[in-house]
Amino acid sequence: MTTTADTVTIPSASISSTEGPWRRAWRQFLRQRSAIIGMIMIGLLAFTAIFAPLIAPFDPVQVLLGKEEGIKKRTGPCVHLLGCPAEQPEHILGVDGNFRDLFSRIIYGARLSLLIGFVTVAISLTIGTLLGSFAGYIGGWLDNLIMRMLDVLLAFPFLLLAIAIVSVLGPGLMNAMLGIAIVSVPAYARVIRASVLSAREEDYVLAARALGVAPVNILFGHIMPNAISPLIVQATLGIGTAILDVAALSFLGLGAQPPTPEWGSMLSAERNQVFTAPHLVFIPGLAIMLTVLGFNLLGDGLRDALDPRLKR
Amino acid sequence: MAGRRVIAGSLLLMLLIPVLAACGSTPAAPAATTAPVVATEAPVAATEASAAEATEVPAAEATEAPTAEAPAAESQAVYTEGDLMAVAAKECGNGYTGEIKEIAATDASTVKFTLCTPDPAFRAKAAFNSFDILPAAYLESTGGNGDLLTKPIGTGPYMVESWTPGDNITLKRFDDYWGTKGLPETVVIRWSAEAAQRLLELQSGTVDGIDNPAPDAFEVIAADSTLQLLNRPALNVFYLGMNNTYPPFDNEKVRQAIAIGVDRQRIVDNFYPAGSEVASHFTPCSIPNGCTGDDWPAYDPEAAKALLTEAGFPDGFETTLEYRDVVRSYLPEPGRVAEDLQAQLADIGITAKINVVESGTYLDQASAGELKGLHMLGWGADYPDMTNFLDYHFGGGASKQFGNKFDDIVAALKDGASKPTDEERAPFYVEANNLIAQHVPMVPIAHGGSGVAYKADVKNAQVSPLGDEYFAAMDPGGRSTFVWMQNGEPASLYCADETDGESLRVCEQVTEGLLSYEQGGTAVVPGLAESCDPNADLTEWTCKLRAGVKFHDGSELTANDVVTSWAVQWDAANPLHTGRTGSFTYFSALWGGYLNAPAQ
Repeated sequence: MTTTADTVTIPSASISSTEGPWRRAWRQFLRQRSAIIGMIMIGLLAFTAIFAPLIAPFDPVQVLLGKEEGIKKRTGPCVHLLGCPAEQPEHILGVDGNFRDLFSRIIYGARLSLLIGFVTVAISLTIGTLLGSFAGYIGGWLDNLIMRMLDVLLAFPFLLLAIAIVSVLGPGLMNAMLGIAIVSVPAYARVIRASVLSAREEDYVLAARALGVAPVNILFGHIMPNAISPLIVQATLGIGTAILDVAALSFLGLGAQPPTPEWGSMLSAERNQVFTAPHLVFIPGLAIMLTVLGFNLLGDGLRDALDPRLKR
Repeated sequence: MAGRRVIAGSLLLMLLIPVLAACGSTPAAPAATTAPVVATEAPVAATEASAAEATEVPAAEATEAPTAEAPAAESQAVYTEGDLMAVAAKECGNGYTGEIKEIAATDASTVKFTLCTPDPAFRAKAAFNSFDILPAAYLESTGGNGDLLTKPIGTGPYMVESWTPGDNITLKRFDDYWGTKGLPETVVIRWSAEAAQRLLELQSGTVDGIDNPAPDAFEVIAADSTLQLLNRPALNVFYLGMNNTYPPFDNEKVRQAIAIGVDRQRIVDNFYPAGSEVASHFTPCSIPNGCTGDDWPAYDPEAAKALLTEAGFPDGFETTLEYRDVVRSYLPEPGRVAEDLQAQLADIGITAKINVVESGTYLDQASAGELKGLHMLGWGADYPDMTNFLDYHFGGGASKQFGNKFDDIVAALKDGASKPTDEERAPFYVEANNLIAQHVPMVPIAHGGSGVAYKADVKNAQVSPLGDEYFAAMDPGGRSTFVWMQNGEPASLYCADETDGESLRVCEQVTEGLLSYEQGGTAVVPGLAESCDPNADLTEWTCKLRAGVKFHDGSELTANDVVTSWAVQWDAANPLHTGRTGSFTYFSALWGGYLNAPAQ
């Protein structure tokens, strides 16, 4: 039996008129130019990250001093095809302060940044979803307890709390990711709680409850699939934020430790050369900016596509 | 049901209030420790441990009566009250390690220093900023800290008008100054840890002079006709230290392997500005006897690997490489040098994890001997004498930075310090230098050249090899205010208890000692004393004070001010022996020890 709009009795997402909701969302998504640009940017980033060893001409941590003729510290980009003298060694984006190829470091940095983004969001998403969904579904004192604790977390300045956590755990990339993950938990928990709260009073949930479905199954089998789309948006935007925040921690020396080619620490290492060798500062900065922009565009596009109120 | 929720919620909130309060205190501490460069620079050699001892133990002694420590009681201070002050140790040795026997005002304008052993370097040491003279009355009224730390009263050409923490220190010309009065009416001291910011401020004209531009910026400054660059001679040393109480550095072969496993020439060639040189010895060659003995063994990675194999590490080992991310004349690019050392060590099989430590913490850990791995640190000359370099680091009174002391080095240095002339001292320093190369408590890497940049219209711009530029003599192009931007904020302006150059430079403008160093040089010239002359065997030094010298508060300089200023540092039981940390590091390092020294 198919239903038409005026006779809807069970407004479940599993029953639709002509096409599935995901397919519709995808169509919506493709209609937005900025979302496509974001997706292409992230696609390129992912490609770079996966094939980094093939793309990068050098080992990102190799000091080329004494291994390559005529190499000079902090020289600008040199591409032979674009008229750079042939006797000068070719380095597409120049050489950094430790005689390493900047292009290779940027390429490997993409790998690291994607990893940072996904791992950080995965950690906070897992914790946030569990806390938020239990709080929203069970309600009562548990809701109060969880949400007030998250409010406490929210009361601290974001980066300051992350710095505090990393200071306790000790500097390092893993700890920086953990720190950022912990401070981003409240954002996810609140989003999922709000979705669960609105979904749990829906008729299909009441029906499932009346049928005697176990609460855990109701939560994860019936409510979550319908509450997940805001979370997808939040997570996509969160990847960009996480990359930015971990770069900030690395800039402060609390994240990736040398010689790891992390963009934030690369920027930090050469910050005093901003006038004498600007490419060493601007290129990692640009890489961070483009990556975060890509995730933001993608996230915005996803939000527009997944939001039923914006359905055209 | 809604009502129940509200009650439950409010109960929970009440329960959470203490939690909130407890959590509230956490971010504050990390905020202080994680700022990339904290302005409060701890002294280069201050030991927190000794600071604690210095402040706590004397108090205990005072209450527990003389029965407690027999040797300490033997060396207690004797104060002569009355018009003229005198402080004396009861006897030399026997628990008292210092070299000063007595400081006495023999008349209102004469102070006599009696020493336990001859000291040819007395004048050079006495001229150091830490031994500047402050009014006795002011020292007493401040109790040895408080206002004294931020608003010292001295006799110098400038007096402290205001200190806005985190921003600037403003100095006003002192019009009753006894010597040549300062040219700029106001001197403003500012600071920034970022070399790029210092240069930008200079280029945009908001400051008149900056310290330590980045090596890469030297060409930029030289090419700019509105700026002038002065090179500071390399009177310092940058080294890679090792503590012989932690494995694997307890094995001398491992230390010897690192001594020849690091390409020091490569570091100097690539990360230091012109005017720097590879360190052939710990001491720069411009210091008498500095380069006696054999040169540091040449770079030989293969031999280094062989030594490591011999020591039982055929596959190398893992360690840490620690440093503070702070630019100093001896280390203009800490991060780059650390990463290059890391790569070099990897070539001889040593995997070093880089660990950046906050500056103050780092120095404290170094002095307390808590740095377990390789550590990068340096030393800038305070006065041009071997004792300032070698005794401070490797002598009997040195800190635990390199672990257990090497008895043969200590013995050679003790002999060297007590001989009156450079010729007589030479054989002992040959021995000491060779022993250092043999035991390798550290690997000396570079004597770093650095620079100071001024606007081109600053007349009589100068640079000091000791890092204490004298602003009174500089004319900022006819302007009434001279603005100087240095690397960091002074920790305090009571320089008796400071060791960092950022503090000492500001003190140089405000307070003066019996003697001082010539402007832009290292020669000792008269200061508040017109002369300080020794007796024949260099054990008695009589200083004649200049007449008519006024302090900033209008009081006249007397011999008692001199005795008090010295006694406060010398006598650990003196109630004014407090300062900022109470460690008075330089006094102990230069004069061998305190009266009533806390038991070790």
